[in-house]
Amino acid sequence: MRVAFSYLDRQFTEVEAIIADIRGLVASGDYTLGAALSQFEERVAKLVGVRHAIGVNSGTDALMLALQASGVGPGDEVLMAPNTFIATLGAIVATGARPVFVDVDEQHTLDPARLPAAITARTRAIVPVHLWGNPADMHAIGAIAERHRLAVVEDACQALTAAIDGRAVGGFGDAGAFSLHPLKPLNVWGDGGVIVTDSDALAAQVRLRRNHGLRNRDTVELFGVNSRLDTLQAIVGNHLIDRVTAITDKRIEHARRLDAGLAPLREFVRTAPRRQGVRHVYQIYVVRARQRDQLQRFLVERGVEAKIHYPVPLHLQPASRALGYARGDFPACETEADEILTLPAHQDLTEAELDYVVEQVGRFYRR
Amino acid sequence: MRLSVPFVALDVQQRLLKPELMAAVEAVLDGGQFILGQEVADFEKSFAALAGCPAAVGIASGTCALVLSLRALGIGQGDEVITPANSFVASAAGVALTGARPVFVDVREDLNIDPALIEPAITPRTRAIIPVHLTGRPAAMDRIGEIATRRGLAVVEDAAQAVGARFAGRPIGSFGEIGCFSLHPLKNLGACGDAGVVTVRDESLARALRNARNHGLRDRDTCEAWSYNCRLDTLQAAILNVKLRHLERWTIAKRRIAARYRDALAGVVGVPDERPDEFGVYQTFVVRAERRDDLQRYLAQRGVDSRIHYPLPLHLQEAARPLGYRKGDFPVTERLATEILSLPIYPELADAQAEAVIAGVTSFYAGRG
Repeated sequence: MRVAFSYLDRQFTEVEAIIADIRGLVASGDYTLGAALSQFEERVAKLVGVRHAIGVNSGTDALMLALQASGVGPGDEVLMAPNTFIATLGAIVATGARPVFVDVDEQHTLDPARLPAAITARTRAIVPVHLWGNPADMHAIGAIAERHRLAVVEDACQALTAAIDGRAVGGFGDAGAFSLHPLKPLNVWGDGGVIVTDSDALAAQVRLRRNHGLRNRDTVELFGVNSRLDTLQAIVGNHLIDRVTAITDKRIEHARRLDAGLAPLREFVRTAPRRQGVRHVYQIYVVRARQRDQLQRFLVERGVEAKIHYPVPLHLQPASRALGYARGDFPACETEADEILTLPAHQDLTEAELDYVVEQVGRFYRR
Repeated sequence: MRLSVPFVALDVQQRLLKPELMAAVEAVLDGGQFILGQEVADFEKSFAALAGCPAAVGIASGTCALVLSLRALGIGQGDEVITPANSFVASAAGVALTGARPVFVDVREDLNIDPALIEPAITPRTRAIIPVHLTGRPAAMDRIGEIATRRGLAVVEDAAQAVGARFAGRPIGSFGEIGCFSLHPLKNLGACGDAGVVTVRDESLARALRNARNHGLRDRDTCEAWSYNCRLDTLQAAILNVKLRHLERWTIAKRRIAARYRDALAGVVGVPDERPDEFGVYQTFVVRAERRDDLQRYLAQRGVDSRIHYPLPLHLQEAARPLGYRKGDFPVTERLATEILSLPIYPELADAQAEAVIAGVTSFYAGRG
């Protein structure tokens, strides 16, 4: 049996309706900041439960623009955990600010208890990442941010429809950033991203900055980037947005099945403790495994596409050399990097495929 | 009968191409490779050939192309980059976004950077020159190249408006270390959304730019230098591959309209000439007109749509305030800003429409305006 990590080929069963809309757009030529984009932005805002959503070119740009619109720039420090995808860090560096790492807790997300020690006079913002779709502890992080007057920009790129006590992530901080990359539950057919915020002022700043800093056709208020979500991609988003909750529900169901199946193996593989009231949407399903590399090889040989997200923590990347960190600085991240393994859990897998994954993991440890 | 002449008519071109474009879109869907798929590599290969360069790298936009190019050349905080005062904002923003300082230089009557004014603007902090081939007309690349070589500066061509243009027989984009092209929908070669591409003469620079557009990733797990996500979408590359097949025909059509305007309007308004070395592609056809605003209104009343590129020079923009420039610093740019008017020009412009434009301009100055 082959259990694929990616599911794109199974997704496009209703392609015709999307193509029909694109056909209309192609004839109109309204490609930039068109009507379909405004409509998409309204829908995303409603889904997250915030006042504004602004479509941009990618999740990375969403983070960068949200930080800039929050006043982050050269000379500032921004706090984040080093166990995420490199885009989080790239976005901070792009603003001219300096990333300052803080280790994670047992949920693999930013540890609020370690935050205060990292705060200096130059700290301007915190970027909690809802890693793998698992919400960071926004109540605790929000309280610290408020006490120290720091901006909070949520990296919710993997976490659309994730929630804490019924409140969607992305809406906790000053702004939230989502990715619409093809492998996300709400995706477009290329790169794309969205910023959400309740602040009218921040939304206006982001709109300005995504479009060359142009206040109108001829007046440039500030030097901004060009980072508009294509109208064409917004059309795709409009068709898929209604399905995102069903998709994440399905992923949660699959994760529970894997949790239950793997429970008897907990001396070999374990997951982060599952929390009441927290909606983890399982962008990816990650376990910590003994003999991780051997297990991965074993699974791959048997058709299960197991992957590692991510094998090298950010502070140990060549690009981080200038930041001056060393191995040993963030023990929780470093340990987990050697143990984590991503198992397929996406919405289009069958129960038989999920059970096959569990069976193969069991077979590996009981050899 | 009054004939309407819109400034852009993208819908006409798109209707003609729709079957081809939709086939390309559906092929991408069938492949499912939305990020850096085969169509991107195919487009890069064709575009490199068009620009006479060994390599091209697809980027999310022309602006991003400039930012990544300057960064790839190591330009940033503390550096200065020379660029004309008369351009679209992205030329200056591209510099400012790297942390470097844009240093403006005045232009000639041809709207392009005046090579004679470049050297006085060079300081010990100057790292590069960004000539803009504004309106699709090549800048004086012989003299600019000579200055850059002699003073040890990099040249990054802002060819956002100049796909297919040539100088002394050589394609624009092949003169500088890097050529930056915008493929915005309104460009001579335009995607169905934002898009851009850079052309590079040096393979190691091409490699650096390929990493830089993709988070700085050398491979899936290794990040060499923090960077952006600035990839050309596969979908847009597929669309561009279709359009590339028509580019030469479109360029010929635009040049024919430009010649017609030039012949009919010379002596009525200032028309762009074409020196023997130049092969312009007329992204816009910009005339210099007395009583410009009145002319524009008059044309609008007759159904002829026109635009101004650009009414406010870069050094007088709010965003440029920290740079400390003032009115009077760039007299040619400032005067041109009050005289320039862009007339409708696109491959699908009908003969009768071109005639209506010419008739509008001539009758205005014949005293009927």
